[in-house]
Amino acid sequence: MWNKKLWKSAMALALALTMALSAAACGKDGDKTPDSNPQGQQDNPGALEGAQDNADPFGAYEETVTCTLGRRTQQNPKLPEGDSYEENAYMSWVEDRFNVALTNAFESTDGEDYERQVALAISSEELPDMMTVDRATLEELVENDMLADLTTSYENYATDYIKDIYDSYEGRCLGSATFDGRLMALPTTSPDSAPSQVWIRQDWLDQLNIQLDTDGNSCITREELEMTAKEFLAKDPGGNGNPVGIAFTYDMNAGDNLEMQAISCSFGAFQKKWFQKEDGTVYNGSTTPQMKEALAYMNKLFTEGILDPQFGTRTWDDITALMTNGQTGIIFGVWHIPDWLLSNIKAMDPKASFTSFALEDGNGKVNVFHGDPAGNYVVVRKGYEHPELAVKMINLFHDERVTSKTLEQDAPEVYKYEQLGVDGSVRPLPVEINSNVSLLNDYSAIMKCVNGEADLEEMPTLEAKNMVGHIQRYNEDPNTTDVIDWSRYHSRTKGIQLIQNLTDNGSFAWVSPLYLGTTETMKSSGANLDKLEAETFIKMIIGEEPIDHFDSFVEQWNAQGGAAICEELAEKAQ
Amino acid sequence: MKKRNMLKSKRRQSELSYHAMMLPGMIFLLIFSYIPMFGLVMAFQDFVPAKGILGSHWAGWKHFKYMIALPDIRLLVRNTVVIALGKIIIGTAMAILFAILLNEIKNRLLKKSVQTIVYLPHFLSWVVLASVVVNFFNLDGSVNQLLAGLGFEKLNFLGSNRLFQPLLIGTDVWKEFGYNSIVYLAAITAIDPGLHEAAAIDGASWRKRVWHITLPGMMPIILLMAAMNLSSILSAGFDQVYNLYSPMVYETGDILDTYVYRMGLISRQYSFGTAVGLLKSIIGMALMLGSNGLARKFADRKIF
Repeated sequence: MWNKKLWKSAMALALALTMALSAAACGKDGDKTPDSNPQGQQDNPGALEGAQDNADPFGAYEETVTCTLGRRTQQNPKLPEGDSYEENAYMSWVEDRFNVALTNAFESTDGEDYERQVALAISSEELPDMMTVDRATLEELVENDMLADLTTSYENYATDYIKDIYDSYEGRCLGSATFDGRLMALPTTSPDSAPSQVWIRQDWLDQLNIQLDTDGNSCITREELEMTAKEFLAKDPGGNGNPVGIAFTYDMNAGDNLEMQAISCSFGAFQKKWFQKEDGTVYNGSTTPQMKEALAYMNKLFTEGILDPQFGTRTWDDITALMTNGQTGIIFGVWHIPDWLLSNIKAMDPKASFTSFALEDGNGKVNVFHGDPAGNYVVVRKGYEHPELAVKMINLFHDERVTSKTLEQDAPEVYKYEQLGVDGSVRPLPVEINSNVSLLNDYSAIMKCVNGEADLEEMPTLEAKNMVGHIQRYNEDPNTTDVIDWSRYHSRTKGIQLIQNLTDNGSFAWVSPLYLGTTETMKSSGANLDKLEAETFIKMIIGEEPIDHFDSFVEQWNAQGGAAICEELAEKAQ
Repeated sequence: MKKRNMLKSKRRQSELSYHAMMLPGMIFLLIFSYIPMFGLVMAFQDFVPAKGILGSHWAGWKHFKYMIALPDIRLLVRNTVVIALGKIIIGTAMAILFAILLNEIKNRLLKKSVQTIVYLPHFLSWVVLASVVVNFFNLDGSVNQLLAGLGFEKLNFLGSNRLFQPLLIGTDVWKEFGYNSIVYLAAITAIDPGLHEAAAIDGASWRKRVWHITLPGMMPIILLMAAMNLSSILSAGFDQVYNLYSPMVYETGDILDTYVYRMGLISRQYSFGTAVGLLKSIIGMALMLGSNGLARKFADRKIF
């Protein structure tokens, strides 16, 4: 938190100092490496070396190799006591296996804090050897020629299993990390996680005898949502004395957790997503008439008191408190939200259980958009001697760890971590690499096994195998106090099952937004447009501005750079 | 002639140790305040970290023009100045009043304990205090429960554009007045007690003495502090605002620093951030020099 305090003086002094230093550092670099060195040629001494030892994807180095990492941490990584982000079973697995010494260049909470650390690392030109960055940062790093070329490392070292996973995205995933034909990063895959779901306290529904989804299509209508919220408000099943209907954070980032995404989508509005029309022009989902309808609906919820009266000032932590205090029992989030957020409720209230629904539009369809196929990117600093180490680590964690049948004997500590559900962020490279169809495939395998139709040894991954155990244990004792069994049961048999049902029923109506990274005007006006949108939408929802203000919002939005971005994207899309 | 020179060199020698004592401070100032000034060049460049200051493209006044053309610039400057001025004026008045009242307490123990208690909030960071303020002032907070109990309507302090600025100013004054009063207390104790005694013998009431002796005696310090504070008129307190605001109160709560923060570090517009910082410093310096000039002209008092 001291970072926030630091900033004020940093603006005038520290940042300027950093710049001065970075200028000096740049001068030094210039002396060391003449600019005539063509990019991509000298970047891969490791690959040559690897070629000599036949590029063993799991080969250990003869002499200890050092590697510094930029780490994004989570609040509650579920680490066993005594272990840390720097010292844990995952880190030592890599160290022992490959004969490397890993150290953390910096550790920062995922989100703004981490991005700030990365920004400082870039501006001071002291990149860690490896770290994960978002798309905009990747582009900036490539533009400034600060990254190692991973093309040959990937070709020579990645296992077939890893290559198959990336290929399941038909080039969309690796393509987003390829610049001028060179692979500059290893992308995290993000399989379509489908809609933001509505998680409702099932124990409260039972208590008040409310029947939802009477037609059995796994969806609820907006009317059902309102009715449930009103009942919860009137009868206060949480017994807190101060119930709140539906709470959203003030971020208005169009995220899928604790935000209004599901509601907007039910009107066919895809906030902050870019789309291309048939004539080639590009528009933003926040400026469509559907968005106006969604805002009008939110305003109605606010006026009726169904929406939290403090909407607009609530932070994430506030809402977590509302949930754990039993003030609200309706939470919007993705399928895995039980694993990391709703689990807090179970920990506080052992009776808690949830059912998740999708919010349908007027025609009984659920509107969803394809996600960006790549999320974060693993990048390697230019000039690092062993760029292939990044690929080897990916092999280790996303091939061997998940597919090995003998992990329990080979790496008992790691196996224990898997059983404990330790957060993936404590791995040296906090990425997930899964095939695009892995979600439903793995799930159906898991359920076959739970129902006794398949053998535990047939499970495709170790995670799936563990999942079977969690679900079976929960089924044996639904009143279990084991929070992990509870959350795994909910995220799978409620969250993924919902996606399965909707897929089987053909209820999804998919749209494909454009994912083209950042443009010049986005860089200069993005912050301003975000401000305009968040401020205007919140004011319209709480009734400080009339709904018809939306039209002048669109005008302002276009005038302040929105129109320019649309043109830039249309050009990029060609 | 010779003697005088000898004296001079002797004095120099005896002063040498004092100069040596100043040296660390001066080096610190040089490294952290003067050398970084070269980084201000960034404000006139399209700064790219990897290329450094020497390699980045020259952009001239581009970032300043962009800043002035920003649709929100008036709003940002207005918010910043209103909040900063509110804090300076009310904060200074409270600190002076408190110092005068505290000076009247004769019981040493009571005086010291009151003093310590009001200093305390100064040492807490806004990150911590913000959650305290939120807990007090949100819709379910104790302030609103009190209002509701007295039959008034609940007020959304943190989400209302009408109440957000008073909230910022009020809480900042509460946090800082005790600490700021130290310097005024010192000024009061420097006033010759003989003046007070003489006035008391002549029959001047306490109020009269405060008005005609204490306040004029404090005037040089008050002027000095006012001039120093004016230089920070474009800094309305980033830590406080950042930890309390939300999009709902952008209209009255978004200040230059928070905007530059969202723009500069999150969207990595280094040059733009530097340009705003530079302009802030220049305006601050102009105000300080200006107030010094005014003080000299009208009050016949020089600050520096």
